[in-house]
Amino acid sequence: MAIHIGRGIASIEYPTGMNQNGDPSQAWIKVKPDGRIDVFSGTSDIGNGAKTIQTQIVADTIGVPYDWVTFDNSNTDSSPVCTGTFASRATFVAGKAVLKAAQRVRERILEVAGLEMEISPEDLEIADGDVLAKGAPTKKLSVGDVAAAATWGHGELITGTGAQLNPYAAISDPTTGEVDGVPHAAISYAACAAEVEVNDETGEVRVTKLTQAYDVGKAINPALVEGQIEGGAIMGLGLGVLEDSYPYYPSAEHRGDDFGSYYNPSSADLPELHNIIIENPSADGPYGAKGIGEMSNNAQPAAIATAVHDAVGVWVTELPITPERVLRALDARAAGSGPRREGKHVIFDEELSINAVGSGKTWTAGP
Amino acid sequence: MKAVGARLPRYDGVGHATGRTVYVDDVRVNGMLHTKALRSPHHHAGIKHLDTSRAERMPGVAAVVTHEDVPLLTYGHLSALGIPADEPLLGAEDVRYKGQPIAVVAAEDADAAQAGVEAVDVEFEERPALFDMRKSFDADAPRIHHWGAVYPHFEGEMNVRQIRKGDIERAFEQAYKIISGVYRPAAIEQMPLETQVGLSVPEPDGRFTIYSCTQALYFSMGVVAAHLQLPLNKFKFVGGTVGGGFGGKVDTATETLCTLLAQKSGRPVKWRWTREEEFLCSSTRAPWHMEIIDAVSADGWILGRKMLTLHDAGAYARFSPYGVTKHSFHHTGAYTIPNLHFDGYVCFTNRVPTSAMRGYGVTSVSFAVETHMSRIAEELGVDPLELRLKNANRIGDTSPNGITYTDPSTVDVLHAIAGATDADLPAPYRDASRDRRAGEWLPEHLVSQLSDSEGH
Repeated sequence: MAIHIGRGIASIEYPTGMNQNGDPSQAWIKVKPDGRIDVFSGTSDIGNGAKTIQTQIVADTIGVPYDWVTFDNSNTDSSPVCTGTFASRATFVAGKAVLKAAQRVRERILEVAGLEMEISPEDLEIADGDVLAKGAPTKKLSVGDVAAAATWGHGELITGTGAQLNPYAAISDPTTGEVDGVPHAAISYAACAAEVEVNDETGEVRVTKLTQAYDVGKAINPALVEGQIEGGAIMGLGLGVLEDSYPYYPSAEHRGDDFGSYYNPSSADLPELHNIIIENPSADGPYGAKGIGEMSNNAQPAAIATAVHDAVGVWVTELPITPERVLRALDARAAGSGPRREGKHVIFDEELSINAVGSGKTWTAGP
Repeated sequence: MKAVGARLPRYDGVGHATGRTVYVDDVRVNGMLHTKALRSPHHHAGIKHLDTSRAERMPGVAAVVTHEDVPLLTYGHLSALGIPADEPLLGAEDVRYKGQPIAVVAAEDADAAQAGVEAVDVEFEERPALFDMRKSFDADAPRIHHWGAVYPHFEGEMNVRQIRKGDIERAFEQAYKIISGVYRPAAIEQMPLETQVGLSVPEPDGRFTIYSCTQALYFSMGVVAAHLQLPLNKFKFVGGTVGGGFGGKVDTATETLCTLLAQKSGRPVKWRWTREEEFLCSSTRAPWHMEIIDAVSADGWILGRKMLTLHDAGAYARFSPYGVTKHSFHHTGAYTIPNLHFDGYVCFTNRVPTSAMRGYGVTSVSFAVETHMSRIAEELGVDPLELRLKNANRIGDTSPNGITYTDPSTVDVLHAIAGATDADLPAPYRDASRDRRAGEWLPEHLVSQLSDSEGH
């Protein structure tokens, strides 16, 4: 018995927003008489941090402290349309909707402040909850005083709406897949290096370290970005070496039906994690942000599979890389199996191909 | 202080950490009924006989709903994207997966509801079932839908999602090696701590307040409104806080049936799936079957890719055609490959319908492409980082469907990983950038794919 150490890398990309777009998000904001801000957005928070991210965007865009902002996504009577929290769209698409609503609110605050201060709104700015004359910061009026003036003096409600809709990109030629517009809001990028230990007697693969770099455009909240990187990494680890809804696939029997019989990662499986955040701003995202939510479980399985090969010299390309699959691959290699080589062709996994199951379909190189 | 860029604590973190956050199952209202479902015990069967009259008379049972009670039984969640409806809210003439709901019973408590379910008289005629998506094309494969076992409704009523770019034949002719591999990631569970749960409360003004764990309030409200054939002002969805979704709470699982039961009984109806139902009856990530054949040069350029993808949709389409389309758009991964021939199929099996899960459509192809890249590096004796840096997307390159990459970061993330793992990259790889291709980064085979413009 020996433990073999292996390393592997993978590099991926992932789109932000629904594929082909056409997925609106909307928001509206109102200002209380003391300047505190109420945000109404239809974005569910599934643990991705949508409430936090949208609150941060609104606070900075208007120019008020974070804790002045209340975020309400609780119901469809008060909140407008959000297509939903999926497709890595909440930060970019829904974030842009609240950003636009906040810009309108900011404009209205400056207009009312302009009347109160007898200064043109273009010569005013907002910082930390105060409206300031540009270049003469001693001339200031708090946003609370502006909101009070609007409410009691001008008989106005300061409010703003925003909507984001990246236009639907239709497939204009279904034979080539050509589209008539950009089919995503942005693209995020990541790379992952995995280190594993493989036990050649039991076949067990232990992931010991994941080093990962993500370009998210702008980390609106770096703690939440790291949460996505680490949470996603563990889900990717599960995909790579543990989880299977159909342990006797393709049979649909003998499925795990509780936490004891379905094999998912636990804290005992946690590898050492090293996270790197890169900020190449996107052209159109709020503060340059792009999505990270989903892609964070995409890079690990291939990096792990490559590391297993580096450790013990076998490729396991059916997931998860279970002890049984590792041992069978080691046995096959000991029996001399490997890719079939013919001329310039190198053919791996022939036994898994659709050609091998006697299907009505065949598949070969060449057009 | 600026909020953007700050490590602020999660807005609702204290509630989550202390158990004070109110999730759907924490909501209890007076007179609330509890729900259980009659589900298919078979993978594939005809329903020969269905009679709920005995169940309706069971003690504590307030309402039973079958397909006959649904104003619009079959509604396509993605009809707007051209994906036709194929899944009835409740099984009517056929059941196509084990666990498919046929009738739901609302009663004073869960035990009475379960007793009601067991009093439904139902007879099945079992049919042959299909589980291996590779056999969906067989002439003698079980017919799962009237069209067979392969989705026929891509644009132009094609049964395949195709990508064609460049000249794949020439790429194979020019190749130093042609490297083939097969990649098969498994179905897995989204496994939220909070199982599927909903509560529908009929209000005195004729509206329904629906407490929902959905990831998409308006989307789910649209689904309920369509099945009930009522306008949106009849509903108030309450939610926004989800006890784990990961894609498994985009399809609408409980809200429509709770509301039909509430409508029929005039009482609030809650339906919380058991852990067993969550594992066995809710959608999973799809199993995928991917075959990649790459034409490569001796020094590690990917000249062309031919790829076959089969996606196991399970018994119904749900989001599967969307997933395969997204998959096709990203089948070159983070690299620029000028000559492409991609065929992707949505295959039906008698499995629980598969649907959205984190990374939908692309998680599969990331695994396939990256493992294949590692194999190519090994076969050619090229450093795996260098192979990736060489083929990396750069500004001005074009995607499989001809879209210009404006801000790709493949080079940057690879450099970050190289630095963090103390990889010794030689020049020119150390000095590579994401800038538009020129000189040694612009070999002849990549010239024609370049975009003329800097923009899209």
